[in-house]
Amino acid sequence: MNWSSPLPALLLVGAVLGLGAYAVAVLDGAAALVTARQRLPLGDIVIGPLRQAALAARTRRSTTERPDLQAWALAPALLAGMAAGAVATVPFGPDTAVADVDDGIVAFGAVMAVVMVGVYLHGWSANSPLPLVGGYRFIALALSYEMPLALVLIAAALPAESLSVGAIVESQYDLWNVVRQPLGLPLYLVAGTGLAFWGPLNGADGADLAGGTSAEVSGPARLMWALSRRFVLVAVAVMGAAVFLGGWQGPWLPAPLWMALKTLALLAVLVAAGHRLARVRLERFVVVAWVVFIPLALVDVFVSGALAL
Amino acid sequence: MSRGALVDVAFWLFGGGSVVAAWLVFRTDSMVRAAYWLLASFAGVGVVMVLLNARFLGLVLVLMMAGEMTIMAVFMVMFMMNPAGLNPMTMVHQHRQAKIAGVVAFAGLALVGVVAEFPDRPADPDGEPTAELGRELLGDSMLLFETAGVTLLATMIGSIAIASKRGRYGDAEDGSAPPPLALS
Repeated sequence: MNWSSPLPALLLVGAVLGLGAYAVAVLDGAAALVTARQRLPLGDIVIGPLRQAALAARTRRSTTERPDLQAWALAPALLAGMAAGAVATVPFGPDTAVADVDDGIVAFGAVMAVVMVGVYLHGWSANSPLPLVGGYRFIALALSYEMPLALVLIAAALPAESLSVGAIVESQYDLWNVVRQPLGLPLYLVAGTGLAFWGPLNGADGADLAGGTSAEVSGPARLMWALSRRFVLVAVAVMGAAVFLGGWQGPWLPAPLWMALKTLALLAVLVAAGHRLARVRLERFVVVAWVVFIPLALVDVFVSGALAL
Repeated sequence: MSRGALVDVAFWLFGGGSVVAAWLVFRTDSMVRAAYWLLASFAGVGVVMVLLNARFLGLVLVLMMAGEMTIMAVFMVMFMMNPAGLNPMTMVHQHRQAKIAGVVAFAGLALVGVVAEFPDRPADPDGEPTAELGRELLGDSMLLFETAGVTLLATMIGSIAIASKRGRYGDAEDGSAPPPLALS
C-alpha cells in the first residue's frame, strides 16, 4: 500500500495518535491506582477516559474578558498538527511511513520548536494571569530542553549517516541505539517529558497555577487541549521507539506490532514518571539542563561521532 | 491533479500567504500577534524553500524562527509597559521616515531584481541537497561560515557584557547570586 497518498496517510497518522492518546489515558488511570496501591477496577480504567472526554465535550465553554479567540483556538491545533507531522516521518514497518523524508530529524526539530509557540499562545491568549505565567514557564522550560533533545537526535543520526528516521531505524539492525549510545534515551526522555509538559516537568499546566495555560479553558476546547498534549506525548514516544529502540525491527512478531509495543513501553515509562516523580521546580531544571544535560548531550555527540568514524 | 500542479498551487498559497502575513505584522495591534504573524510569514517562506527542494534549509528556518519569534515577543513585552502585550497598541511609528525607508528599500531590491543577472544553473532534481549543503558548509566555504558564526557569537557575548554591566537602577549584578545547583 502506498502510505503517502492522502487517505492511507490520514488513517495511519490518525490511528497512531488516536490509539496512542487513548493508551496514555488508560495507562494514566492504571498508574494512578497502582501508585495509590488500590485495586484496579478494569471497567473504570477502560471506559473512564471515554466518559471524561464525553463529559468535556458536553460542558459549556467558558471565556475571559477580551481574549484573543483566534490564537486561543489555534493553540491546540498547532500542537496536534505538529504531533501529526512528527508521526508522519516515522516508519512503522519496512516502507510503511507516510513521509520518510531525508530530513526527518530536522522536521522533528522544527515540530518541537513550534510546540513552544502553541503552548505560549495558549497561555497568552486567555488574557488572564495564571495561564500567562504557565506560558512563560513553558518558554523557559523549552529553551532548556531543546538543546539536549536536538543534540541526542543528532548523535543518533551519526551512525546512520543520514537525517532520515527510516535510515536511523535501519542503522540499528545489529545494535539498538539505546545500547550503542547509553546517554541518548535517558536525555531524550527527560526532554520529551518537557516537550509534552508532562508529569515532573508540567510547569506550564501545573496544579500550582490552577491548571496553568488551561486554567481558563473548559468544554470542547479543554478536550482538544488535553488530546493535543497527549498527541505530543505519543509523538515523543513514537520517535523515541524509532530512534533509540530499533523501530519496527525485531524477531518473530510483525514489524508494526514491534513498533506498537516499543511505543507503549516508552509511554508507560513517561506516564509512570508522572506519578512516581515529584514536579521539578523550573529554575532548578533550567540550571541542571544547561549545566548537566547539555554537556552530557555533547559528550553523547562526540563519542557517537568518534565511534561512527 | 498532477504533482507539478499541486506544487504550483502550494507555492502560490504559501508564497502569497507569506506576503499577507508580513503585511499583517504592521496591521495588528499587539506585539505578540505581530511577532507570530512574522513567524507565519517566515514559515511560508520555509515551505516555499521545501517546495524548491531545499528541505533542510526550509525546516531549519521554521525551527529557528519559532524559537526566535517567541523570544522576541517575550522581550518586547518585557521592555514595554504593557503587562501581557494584549492591550491594543499601534505597531507603527515615525510614519514619514518609515515611508521613505520602505520606498527606498523596495526600489533598491526591485532594481537588483530587474538589473542583476542571475546564474542559470539548473540543479539535478534527484540530487541530495542536504548532503551537498553539508559539503559546502564544511568544505570550500567552511572558513566563510565559521568566520560568520564566530563573529556572531562574539557579538552576542559582547552585547551581553555591555548590557549587563549597568542597569537603570545601578549595577546589574548588585544583590544577585548565581542560581543554586542543588536538586533538593
